[in-house]
Amino acid sequence: MWPAVQDKEEKMAEDKGKTSRRDFLKGAAMGLAGGALATMAVYSYSPWRKRHFAKVERKLADIGVCKSLKIANISETSWFDNATLMGDIKGAGGLLVNQYDYNWPPFGDGTGLGKGSYEKGIAKIKHLLPDRLEEAWEIIAPNSVHPDNAGGYAALLEVEELDGKKRKFLLDTGWSYKWTDECFKREGIDKMLANREIEALFISHEHFDHFWGLPVTLKYDPTITIYVPDGFYPEGLKYVKDSGHKGKLVKVEPGLKKHIPGMASFVFAIPIICRVYGEQSLYFNVKDKGLVSVTGCCHQSIIQFAETAYREIKYENDNLYGVYGGLHISPFEDWDPKYDDLVISLGKYGFEKIGCNHCTGILCAKKFIAAGYPVVRGTARFLSKDTAYLGNGDKISFGV
Amino acid sequence: MEMERYGTNYLEERKLVKRWKGPTPAIVCLIFTLAIFYATWWIFQDPRGWMRMYTPYVGYSYTRWWLIVLIWMVYIFNYWPFRRAWLEKAHPLLKGVVLTAISVGVLYVLIKGFFEGLVGNYGLAYFNPKQLLKLPGITEFFAIEYAALACLMFAAIASWLSPAWIVACEEAPWQDLRQPAKGISIWLVTFFLSTLIFFMTMHSHMGILYFPWQYFTSIAPPYWEKFANTVSGNFHVSWIMCCTVSVWLVETIWERFPFSLIRRNSLRRLVAFFGIIAIAFAMHFFLYFAQELTWGPAIRGTRRVFAPDWRWLHVGEMAVFFLVPALFITFYCGNWPRKYSLPVNVLIRTAITLFAASLLYIFYYKTSHLFLGTQKGFSHPQQFPMIPTIWLIDIWLAHHWFMDNWPGWKMVPKTADEIARDHAEHEAMLRDIKWNPALGWGIGAGAVAGVALYFVTVWVLPFLYHAIPIIK
Repeated sequence: MWPAVQDKEEKMAEDKGKTSRRDFLKGAAMGLAGGALATMAVYSYSPWRKRHFAKVERKLADIGVCKSLKIANISETSWFDNATLMGDIKGAGGLLVNQYDYNWPPFGDGTGLGKGSYEKGIAKIKHLLPDRLEEAWEIIAPNSVHPDNAGGYAALLEVEELDGKKRKFLLDTGWSYKWTDECFKREGIDKMLANREIEALFISHEHFDHFWGLPVTLKYDPTITIYVPDGFYPEGLKYVKDSGHKGKLVKVEPGLKKHIPGMASFVFAIPIICRVYGEQSLYFNVKDKGLVSVTGCCHQSIIQFAETAYREIKYENDNLYGVYGGLHISPFEDWDPKYDDLVISLGKYGFEKIGCNHCTGILCAKKFIAAGYPVVRGTARFLSKDTAYLGNGDKISFGV
Repeated sequence: MEMERYGTNYLEERKLVKRWKGPTPAIVCLIFTLAIFYATWWIFQDPRGWMRMYTPYVGYSYTRWWLIVLIWMVYIFNYWPFRRAWLEKAHPLLKGVVLTAISVGVLYVLIKGFFEGLVGNYGLAYFNPKQLLKLPGITEFFAIEYAALACLMFAAIASWLSPAWIVACEEAPWQDLRQPAKGISIWLVTFFLSTLIFFMTMHSHMGILYFPWQYFTSIAPPYWEKFANTVSGNFHVSWIMCCTVSVWLVETIWERFPFSLIRRNSLRRLVAFFGIIAIAFAMHFFLYFAQELTWGPAIRGTRRVFAPDWRWLHVGEMAVFFLVPALFITFYCGNWPRKYSLPVNVLIRTAITLFAASLLYIFYYKTSHLFLGTQKGFSHPQQFPMIPTIWLIDIWLAHHWFMDNWPGWKMVPKTADEIARDHAEHEAMLRDIKWNPALGWGIGAGAVAGVALYFVTVWVLPFLYHAIPIIK
């Protein structure tokens, strides 16, 4: 036997003679690992584990009640061709590239896909914002990647209070100046803004298709109050200024914020593709009906939004009544089994009126219909592609 | 004439001699490998970098398969066809460049030739983006992503089974064959098993990616739906990644303990193979529970941190964080400590690994969006911590296996005496663990302490999570 090994073994034997402490420690080490691993295996996914979960305590915050809500879909078509948009995203380096770097309108600087920046892009058009948008678009178009593919998302919300008073709000402000302005004119938003009929603009999140058309809103009402979710990047905040905004800008912290009786917003601190953070969605408590959830893209998921409502606020009949907006399921007509989880689960929440569109995806709307959910069909006008969901120019009302 | 051994037992029979005293070699190697990591990350993966392969999953697929190709070359084929003399005498840099280039070549042929070309064109369309593009409405981006997803799901299984046949089954029954016969035999059986398990765990996930569900070719809804609370194959990604991590924990910081205590070969191999799976399931369930304790129970159908499918995926992601410090301890710290009995050494290393992995987890989520170009947050659909962690592990494997830890260490072949002494020491270490009443009392007391530790951890986790704000 090797001397070193022999020494070691003799020493072990000596130790053993003196005390059993060393063996006890060896055993304890083995037992500790074994005991912990065995409990991990047996207990961690057993029904017993549920005793450790905190009971959901409903906060039942009172956001008041409104009589009704009408929504006009100004535009749900954020881009006109999926393949073109996804080709740009892939070509620029994927879904995590900073959205200001894609060289999409309005920040095109002529250097090509994936090589742009906010600073270089805005420098070309800043002097024209917000009033000379047609001139700005003439500069933007030749310098941008696929300018004609840009559309945008925007909706007009009309809330009727219990006393009959009607109040108007904008949710999001599109992307392409050209398309957004065209849609605003089609729905009369231009005049409502100019007449100061619209009280505030809620930006759901910083994504290009919901936010970059801001100068179109400001062209008609530069003083409008803007609510953005916490998490906007410096470029986004600068864009609000550079677009010629002269009104109040409110950064809404994560959580619930009441606005008028029956209307509240909720900001979710969540990461979103193309380097965006945070989403703001809206709740409306409609008299005798229940809660209506209105979303831009609902990156937090409609079920999370419904669960949050259940935890946070009090609503009529304790009923989740309706939904409007993008539900961010298959925006590019892609699919993933996790979306099936949503389709399977949504039925349990009992929504009575589902007005979905935009990033919900036509494929998902068809799956909702196949599952027997009360999806409100659209008319597929103004470049919306399918009647499976509410298209451009379509309207939906809750409590009317 | 002596028979050519290629790299059989090369790793055990090489002596790595420190070029400098103390921790300097480990620090130098860490800086060296991190520099390579960051440069290659920028070139291949970073969404702000050159090739930007991070999305749609292409870089992820290559990263995982590179890991497996390295395992094939070293563990299964023992560096064949490279001769032992070359392995022992060539400069580590030359070896690193040559062997890495070969591994990348194999990787390319495997993905483009085997998966996309052969399987994707003549078997399963979802392995080939061009075939997927024939589907109406699918964009090129998602055609690429689906194909890469199928490829990387296969890789997850292969990354468990390929090393498991060596670590647990000890190459049986082909351990006495020469290379390349041994390598081919083990490669074939592990690849076959990987294919089988792929069909049983991942094929249904791929089958329900399409509308309508592919009822006639895959089980839909998948059989795990009720148990896992999701139809997503991420449930399997979770336990399979835990298997991968368990194999390497057993091989590195555990020195194949406790399975090495079993003297009968066949029993030891069987217990080790299934024991690794059992350990993986313990991790699989516990890491899911840990998320329930910190974020609350999952809600089916929701997105991000509350979605059960993401929670399962995150189990796999968390598990890989454990692998990073474990490999560092073995590769660059000489599997410190070594002075106590084997169980105590193993326990201390495991505790260090757990602590270091927790710190790494916090560090990653606090900073990765700043220096890796990923998105801030835990659960972004394009946030894949497994890419950078496995990419770093790949680099460490290439550095440790191909470059003998250059420049921190110098490789000197062990003499026959030194090899014999190693074996004797190992045997003595195992003989040191013999049944006696003190050991029995220790095991009993330890088991009680283990159960107590579990419940203390369960109690403390929510407080810890709220006390340490990771993402503001």
